[in-house]
Amino acid sequence: MGRKSIHSSQTDRLLAALREDAQAWRHGYALMKQTGLQSGTLYPILLRLCDQGLLEAQWREADKPGKPPRHVYRLTPAGLAFALRQVAPSRKRITSLREAKA
Amino acid sequence: MTDALRRRIANILMGHAAYVMPFRKMDWGKAMQNELEAIDDDRVALRWAFGCVIAGYSERLNALLQAWYARSALACLIALLALREFFAPLLIFAYRMKYPGLTHFLGLRTAGDDYHRLIPVLDATPAWLPVLWSAAGLLFLVALWRMLRRADGSVAPFFLAFGLDLVGLWAIQSVQASTGVVITPNPVVRAAGVLLTFSAGFLLWRMTRKRTLTAS
Repeated sequence: MGRKSIHSSQTDRLLAALREDAQAWRHGYALMKQTGLQSGTLYPILLRLCDQGLLEAQWREADKPGKPPRHVYRLTPAGLAFALRQVAPSRKRITSLREAKA
Repeated sequence: MTDALRRRIANILMGHAAYVMPFRKMDWGKAMQNELEAIDDDRVALRWAFGCVIAGYSERLNALLQAWYARSALACLIALLALREFFAPLLIFAYRMKYPGLTHFLGLRTAGDDYHRLIPVLDATPAWLPVLWSAAGLLFLVALWRMLRRADGSVAPFFLAFGLDLVGLWAIQSVQASTGVVITPNPVVRAAGVLLTFSAGFLLWRMTRKRTLTAS
């Protein structure tokens, strides 16, 4: 028996952002700009996704010289499958709500 | 506030955020710290650093709450809360059933070390109030049992018990007002009791909430 999903709307936003161009590695700051999530919300979700094997993290050299290396993130295949399963229904819900309002 | 000061505060906060991250997540603390270097806007950097401090403490709390000693301490606290709920019903029962030895023994554990000053309250307390406190005590025990068994649903009985406790606290105020006897004279002690109970509930919620994202 599977466990009940407890994903939040913030997690959905992050998964939706990571799902777009799923092969690309992204920095935390870029994800913050893309999702509008604050770092205090973003990092606990990233940690949780990583702990569950849905996200992979790597150290990458900084683009600018003299800057320290940065963490980059992308979905694992399991994470991508999860994101497709989780985010799609909520988008459908939003679309249907918008249609209902219209 | 100047930009240089903002950046300085951000760096200090970021250092602290990395410091409070649990040992196993030190890498993430470093990652957050290095990310700050890539943020050019000092206002955004400061906001980022504040968020990272929250994230750091959140992770530290999560790690701490999984430790055996934290679970044991919380279990002891919930057990004490349950005992506290049973105390007043037992004292009222002992007094009304005329068990002087037990009444005296329990009276030594009240403010003032003597139950005699509480006699007007013991006489005036309506019968439903000890039942309410006993129900709260039982609910605390249910919450404790479920927590120790790592079963779902320990938070609801805890907060239900807390709610009953607050109703009891509110009801006893009118008894105290009508008799002119104050059970706990120090309001700080009363407030600390409520705060402690709420804090225990919050920690229980943090400890037992599901951290999985996996759907069925």
